[in-house]
Amino acid sequence: MPALLIANPRPYAEAVRHLPPLTGDDAELARRIAAAAPDRDDAAEAELCRRFAPRIRFYGLRHLRNEAAAADLVQDVLLMILQKLRAREVREPERLASFILGTCRQVVIDGRRGGLRRERLLETFAADLSPLADDGFEALDAGRLRECLQRLPERERAVLVMTFYDERPAEAVGIELGLSAGNVRVIRHRGIERLRGCMQPAEDAS
Amino acid sequence: MSAASCTAPTPASTLIDYWLGELEGEREAKLEEHLFGCEPCSARLRDLARLGEAIGHALRAGHVPAVLTPAFVRRLQASGMRVREYRLQPGGSVNCTVAPDDDLVIAHLHAPLGSVQRLDLLFDDVTSGTHWRVEDVAFDASTEEVVLLPDVAELRKVTVATQRVQLVAVERTTERVIADYTFNHSRYQT
Repeated sequence: MPALLIANPRPYAEAVRHLPPLTGDDAELARRIAAAAPDRDDAAEAELCRRFAPRIRFYGLRHLRNEAAAADLVQDVLLMILQKLRAREVREPERLASFILGTCRQVVIDGRRGGLRRERLLETFAADLSPLADDGFEALDAGRLRECLQRLPERERAVLVMTFYDERPAEAVGIELGLSAGNVRVIRHRGIERLRGCMQPAEDAS
Repeated sequence: MSAASCTAPTPASTLIDYWLGELEGEREAKLEEHLFGCEPCSARLRDLARLGEAIGHALRAGHVPAVLTPAFVRRLQASGMRVREYRLQPGGSVNCTVAPDDDLVIAHLHAPLGSVQRLDLLFDDVTSGTHWRVEDVAFDASTEEVVLLPDVAELRKVTVATQRVQLVAVERTTERVIADYTFNHSRYQT
């Protein structure tokens, strides 16, 4: 276990939280992290986490449909990626995004296999990733959303509600409404665009 | 790809299709490759998913009046929502309320809808003297009913009200009233 994590009571993630964002591309970040090993380039690692945590989380939500499982996926994948970069095992830094996606796919497959590897990783790097837990949905203006939903044509509102209440695909919603899946998609898209347009002024003002 | 540029922005409709699991395997894989390398598109996906989640929250909070289907009401109930239901036949009336522990209130308006192509609803709030029309509602004719979900948060504020609802079939050049219903609402009494 790295001595820093034992000796320093302040979690690593907290220490890097206020580092300014880096502007380099993904490959540059990967090279910096690898070049710094066995030391750590805190700024580059923090930036990598900032960029990819939301994408990994949404991959997890899409495939696992579970907030806690998606949060676990973020931790697992970032820990693995940082390990690989620090060990200089990422051979094509310019393909870092693909590498991370591949790791996500593998972890989701392996996830059904049990948590032993995860526990081992977390034991070693537990303090690294604590701020990722607060990467949740920012709250939308509920009052504004309510107004905007009420302004929608009835059919669009019904399709959006029936779709997003429990994230049903167009085919399932279509069966309930006696509409084709294609028709539901058209109505859904129109409704979403109208809703986004309506929400925009409030979001821009905030 | 750098953090801030996108040479081929993914349309919002495709992002939603992806989010709802509607893309075929290869299209899904290609889009995921793009999303992982593209901050602007992944941020747009995030915004859309966030909006979708907020719609679900608004419904659960009783803030979304809508015309739904019986099957959807069963889904609401199956997910643990406490739904107060009223069933009315054509010409029927009902004394109705909303209790403190009701999540939603639903009215099932039964009517012969077999030949109806487009359905409008006419509301007449007798107490306040206001009228409004809701056009082209979604319905499944085979169920022979229209399911009304009022804004429960607003309903809780009402002390006493009488509201009439008419179902109107809209045809090419004419329209005809299929059925009407009366709701006599009063605040919940323990």
